[in-house]
Amino acid sequence: MSEEALHAVIDDLGALLLFTMILIVAAGQIYRAIYAVSAQSLLIALAAAVLATATGNTDLWVIAGVTLAVKAVALPWVLHWIVQRMDIRREIEPVIPIAATLALSVVIVVASFQLTTSLGPVRQAIAGNALPVGISLTLTGVLVMATRKTALTQMVGLFASENGIFFTAMAVTQGMPLIIEIGVILDVILAALVMTILVLRVRSTVDADVADLDRLRG
Amino acid sequence: MAETLLWVLPLIPTVTALLMLTTRDRRVLSALDVSGSAILFALALVLAREVAVGGPRTLGVFRLDDVGLVFLLLLVVLTLAVSIYTVGWLEQALEVGNMKAEFLRSYFALVHAFVATMVVTVLADNLGILWIAMEGTTITSAVLIGYHGHHHGLEAAWKYIIVTTIGISFGLFGTVLIYAAAADVQGGAGAMSWSAIMKIAPTLHPGIVRIGFIFAMVGYGTKAGLAPMHLWLPDAHSQAPTPVSALLSGVLIKCALLGIIRFQTIAAAACGPAFPAQVLLIFGLISVVVATPFILAQRDIKRLLGYHSVEHVGIVALGLGFGGRVGTYGALLHVVNHGITKALAFFAAGTAIARYGSRDMRAIGGLLAVAPIGATLLMLAALSLAGVPPFSIFVSELMVLRAGIGQGHWIAIAIFLSMVVVIFAGLLHHVGVMAFGEPTATASREPEAWFPLAGMLLLAAIMILLGITLPGSFDGILQRATEVIVD
Repeated sequence: MSEEALHAVIDDLGALLLFTMILIVAAGQIYRAIYAVSAQSLLIALAAAVLATATGNTDLWVIAGVTLAVKAVALPWVLHWIVQRMDIRREIEPVIPIAATLALSVVIVVASFQLTTSLGPVRQAIAGNALPVGISLTLTGVLVMATRKTALTQMVGLFASENGIFFTAMAVTQGMPLIIEIGVILDVILAALVMTILVLRVRSTVDADVADLDRLRG
Repeated sequence: MAETLLWVLPLIPTVTALLMLTTRDRRVLSALDVSGSAILFALALVLAREVAVGGPRTLGVFRLDDVGLVFLLLLVVLTLAVSIYTVGWLEQALEVGNMKAEFLRSYFALVHAFVATMVVTVLADNLGILWIAMEGTTITSAVLIGYHGHHHGLEAAWKYIIVTTIGISFGLFGTVLIYAAAADVQGGAGAMSWSAIMKIAPTLHPGIVRIGFIFAMVGYGTKAGLAPMHLWLPDAHSQAPTPVSALLSGVLIKCALLGIIRFQTIAAAACGPAFPAQVLLIFGLISVVVATPFILAQRDIKRLLGYHSVEHVGIVALGLGFGGRVGTYGALLHVVNHGITKALAFFAAGTAIARYGSRDMRAIGGLLAVAPIGATLLMLAALSLAGVPPFSIFVSELMVLRAGIGQGHWIAIAIFLSMVVVIFAGLLHHVGVMAFGEPTATASREPEAWFPLAGMLLLAAIMILLGITLPGSFDGILQRATEVIVD
């Protein structure tokens, strides 16, 4: 695959990633957000596969496989399981209206592209528009975590945020060392596990949702 | 020999944690706890000697230089003190019902897993490993913070894991950007190792390093408790079991500062020292200013100490920001001084809380009459934290101040000084209320237990020693560490 073709494919995938991010931000129901983040992880796995064929870096195949298994299938399944098990009736519970969050995420995307246009020479080190897309995904994921009260939506934001970092990391010319990428994925899994335990403990010991925890102040 | 130790060091707390899972006996657990920490302490001293004589040691992704050594020594001293303190603290906590005997082994195992992840952050040369270990500290300590299992503890744990995980993802992004810049210059192999990046740092593209540094600063700054990313810190410090509070405040936030120092040195080499210095100064000043009103108005003693940590992390950031030899040396010394003193303060506060059954400072009165040794130690720690000579924190604060004056940062100095004076008054007022006067009716009049005191006396001795004189070998480590950062 020629370099231009690769950049074009990466840019197309980047556009799709941003689209799934909008779906996550706009989701009014927790199920939709979970499906959207699953689709987003699928696209990340696809991007890894494309980059693996284009650069001949076999490590990226491993990343693609792990991302597909863990982030596109296993973690969304766990979230789904929690929703059913806890019989969640409360949905997204935004702190500020969803429309306002959407407007903010547009600002983030524009600012990320603006910021990275000033970095001429370095753009060569990272394929296509992966850098601004990665920054946008990370910051929007953080925005989702900060503006939603329920635990599960915050976890969805976390996964989206990690996806952004992975997208940029993959597109760095040489690819990140495999051991580091695996370690990062392992950390994400463990963090999700601990968060799940905390959510369930809050439910069982104090009979409340994480969103209702607001006593510690000052 | 020394190289092997780099591998063995993180293994010791890991093995200790695994051994702890095999028993339920409280005595065996306490024995394992103290001996594990003692072995870690002894081996770290051996390693320190090797590094002091033969320079930095490298093994794979691990490397120990003098900068790391400062943090490693603080880590092992505090771990040992915490273990000794825990023996006595546990007895009280079990009596009150704060800790449950059937879950003890998971508590001890998690503490040592937490220590293991912190050892890795200190030893990591590879910035990716540094990040992974840093996220590992979040995962292990989040469970510990919510360990008491009541409403407030779980809330603090949730807030902690969400805020620091958000923050630390910024840190990963910063790491990726620095890696991209380094890989662009020298190719992928070794482009994540800090020592390799430092060799080529002047040739890195300044634009991308700048963005990378800001991301890393926000990321590791969250974990270090710099304002305005400190939101998790007072909750976590106040809700965690007291030994864990001491580890969080004494060691964990210092490990995050080490991460910041690693990125600061790269950024200083790539885009000139002025840029990272400015960022550090801004975060440092915000931290000092934000912490002040909360310290004055505080009623919960552990929250008070938490906010006070925000102030002191701010002072370290100011020292690094003022820079130069004096500022950097002062910042490193302040890391050690504050770590030792704050752990002592948490210990003393923990025993006072157990005695009165309350964390409200208005309920704790006349401590001096019912527990003279504990009250004296609490007052010593508070005087030191407030920056009274001849205690150690006074020395390092003075160095930071001198560096600021030397560089002509008058506005920063003015803000810093006025806040320190206000906090001085507030802190002494709070401690005076607790120590003097008639003991309140809720106070237990039992004689003071020996084991929590042993842990505290160890730290108090170090604190006073560091105030009066700096041992030559430790001064040498600090000098060489300063050279690594400044040059």
